[in-house]
Order: sequence, then structure tokens, then C-alpha cells
Amino acid sequence: MPEQHHLTLEVVERVDPADLVDERSRDTRAAFLKKAVGAGGVIAVSGVVIGGLPALVTAAPGAAQDAEILNFALLLEYLEAEFYTQAESGGALDGEALEFAKTVGAHERAHVEFLMKALGDKANPKPTFDFKGTTEDQEMFIQTAIVLEDTGVAAYNGQGARLTKEVLASAASVVSVEARHAAWIRDIAGEPPAPKAFDDLKSKEEIETAVGDTGFITS
Amino acid sequence: MTSRLTLLDVDRDGAIEETFERIKETDRSGFLKRAAILTGGIMGGGAVLGALARPAGAATATDVAIANFALTLEYLEAEFYTQAEASGALTGDLAGFAKVVGEHERVHVDALKKMLGSAAVAKPTFDFKGTTEEEGPFRETAQVLEDTGVAAYAGQAPRVETDDVLNAALAIHTVEARHAAWIRHLNGNPPAPEAFDKALSMDAVLTAVQGTGFITSMPAMTGNGSPSFTG
Repeated sequence: MPEQHHLTLEVVERVDPADLVDERSRDTRAAFLKKAVGAGGVIAVSGVVIGGLPALVTAAPGAAQDAEILNFALLLEYLEAEFYTQAESGGALDGEALEFAKTVGAHERAHVEFLMKALGDKANPKPTFDFKGTTEDQEMFIQTAIVLEDTGVAAYNGQGARLTKEVLASAASVVSVEARHAAWIRDIAGEPPAPKAFDDLKSKEEIETAVGDTGFITS
Repeated sequence: MTSRLTLLDVDRDGAIEETFERIKETDRSGFLKRAAILTGGIMGGGAVLGALARPAGAATATDVAIANFALTLEYLEAEFYTQAEASGALTGDLAGFAKVVGEHERVHVDALKKMLGSAAVAKPTFDFKGTTEEEGPFRETAQVLEDTGVAAYAGQAPRVETDDVLNAALAIHTVEARHAAWIRHLNGNPPAPEAFDKALSMDAVLTAVQGTGFITSMPAMTGNGSPSFTG
């Protein structure tokens, strides 16, 4: 049984993603909201703005910026993990779509655990979600999964140059898996698995807007 | 910070190409020396550099070596798919895969060559040992090549020193992962076998590629004011 450490971002490079620590304390929702508001952030219940912290677009990579970016990634992984968890148990999926939800859900849950462990007490807590029926209908599930996975790829790629090298190595091991997910669900849907020779890199702001527009995050 | 980068954006003004052209010729030999493992040290006749040695610009020797490493792998994949498509051995979805993925790899070759300018390594010679001429061997080989490409890009990404080169590498890395998942799916294998993909070092990838025997010679290079490197 591995010795339990309180891992901070500074030691994240020694973390093997396959080693998952058990429990960790996390903020209550009230504390999270207080921090966000205190930092000038705005969270709209309709999901228009998430986080709202000033973008550190011109800062050099460093631990604080890594934490900001990893919390951004964690938000997306929380969302994907919950989406697949709900879809798997919703009863609407069968065949390969169900197999996809099970396999990919397990991956996303592992990504959540890894990011929470890397962030330690800097990890934001999980929001509440409403997937607006997309986990309850197989066709809607498939189309939503395509968007979520493609978005995850663009989001991680867009942050790569802003990360320290140690954290970039970890991010690289995750983003290629998201790309595999994207190709797989696209193939299930009869869509081109690899639609372009170069994948998009999108900014945090663009991703946050797109995610906000789904209305999936309710608090 | 650009909000949506494509490779075209990244080299909008030809800045990358110009930057790489200002790298000394010795930087190219850095990669080729390591890449000698690919052919057991056998260097064939090939492209002779016409470019004059120039002072190093914003791009670094490390980035040139990494880009040339990537270019070598992309040359290999592109040629593999080109030959497979031409062989007539593939049908249906598999033929569709080879056509689309081959187009991507050829575009990757073109983009990396443009980025590197006169610092680009020339294309090696290849012998795919029949794997482009029969469906079963093609399936297996394509899956290995794509999975290896993913691991190779992941291994280099943290070593890249300039943002433009890193962004290009990241944009290609995830497309190789899509390719890998796609051929795995066509092969009836798990498209995403692990929650976290593993990275491989440059040496590990070169050793693995050497083991295939697919590369039968690497280009020699010479340059003004720099050590010649022929075998």
C-alpha cells in the first residue's frame, strides 16, 4: 500500500498517474464560491461564465499558472466523468455506445483523480451538472460525446505552451487519450475519426464560452 | 495569445521557416548522428545542403533536432500509406483509412519541411517488407506505427523550447492519436487501451524503428563551415 502523501503541484512530476491516492479533503462549495468571488471571479448560474479569473495569458509558465490550468482541465474532466457516469447508468445506451461510455467514463474518472491529486488543496470542487437529457437518449449521447471529446482535445492543446514542462508531460499523456476517445466515438457515429491533419488549439476563454453555452454546469 | 491556432497561423509570415533557415548546419547533424541507429550507422548518398551556414536565430538546435526526428517518422508513415494505397491490397474501410491518414501524414511532412527550411533532413529510403502489400500485415503495422508516433510526440513535447514548434507538435500529436484509435477500432482492438498514454524517448523510438528494418538508408549531409557527416 503506497504511503499517503499530501501532494502539491511542485511534486506533481513525481506522480505516476497510475498511483491513485484514496481520500483527500476538499473545499466546501461555499468556500469555493467565496474564493472565486474574492478573486474577482463571476459564476453565473446559467453557466455563461465559469471561473472568471483573469487569464494569465502573458505570464511565463510556473506553479501558479499550472494550478490555474489544471483546475481548468479538472473542470472539463469533472464534466466528462459525470456525463459518462450518468449515461452508463441511465439505461438508454446499448451495444458499442454503452461499452464506450463504460470504458471512457473509467478513463475520465481516472483523469479527475489524477488532477485532484496533482492540485492537492488547490483543486476546485466538483460543480453540479444538468446534462439536459443528453445522457438519456443514445443518439444525443453520441453527438454530445463527440463535442465533449473534441473540445477536450482543443482545450488541452491550447494550454500546452503555458504549462511547465513537468506538467506538460502529464497533460500530453491525457490529451492523446481524449483524442482516441474522440476518434472512437466519431467512428461509432459514422463520422470521420480524424477530420483534419492538424487538431485545433483553443484558448481557455473560447472553451469556457463553449462549455457555458451548453448550460451543463448549473453551479 | 491566439485563440485558435492552426499550423498555417503558426507560420503566418513564414517566420518559422525563416528562423530555422538561420540555424547552423551542425544542428542537423545532431539528429542524424543519433538517427544513425536507424540503419546501423549506414549513411547513403542523399541531399547535399546548398545553404550557407548562418547564425542561429530564435529557433534552437534542440527544436531543429526534434523537428527532424518528427519529420523522419512522418516520412516513414507517409511512404507506408502511399505504398499501401497504391498496392491495391486494401479494400473498404481499410482503404478509406489508408487514403485519409496518408493524406494527413503527407501534409505533416510538408509542414515540417516548411518549418525546417534548409535544415530539414531529406527523405530516407524505405523497404516495408511486404507490409504494404497484404491486409493483415498492413493492419498490424499501421497500428504499431500510429501508437509509436503518439508516444514519440509525447516524449518530445516537454523538450521543445519554442512555443510555435510546440504548438505544431501538439496539433499533430493528437491527430496521430486519432489515427491510432481508428486503426485499432478497424482491427477490433481497444481504441483507447489506457487512461494515460505512455511517452517514449527519442532513442527508444529510434531503436524500435531500427528493429523494423523499414529504413534502409538515411540521407548524408554536408554544409559550409561545419563537419561533414557521411558514412
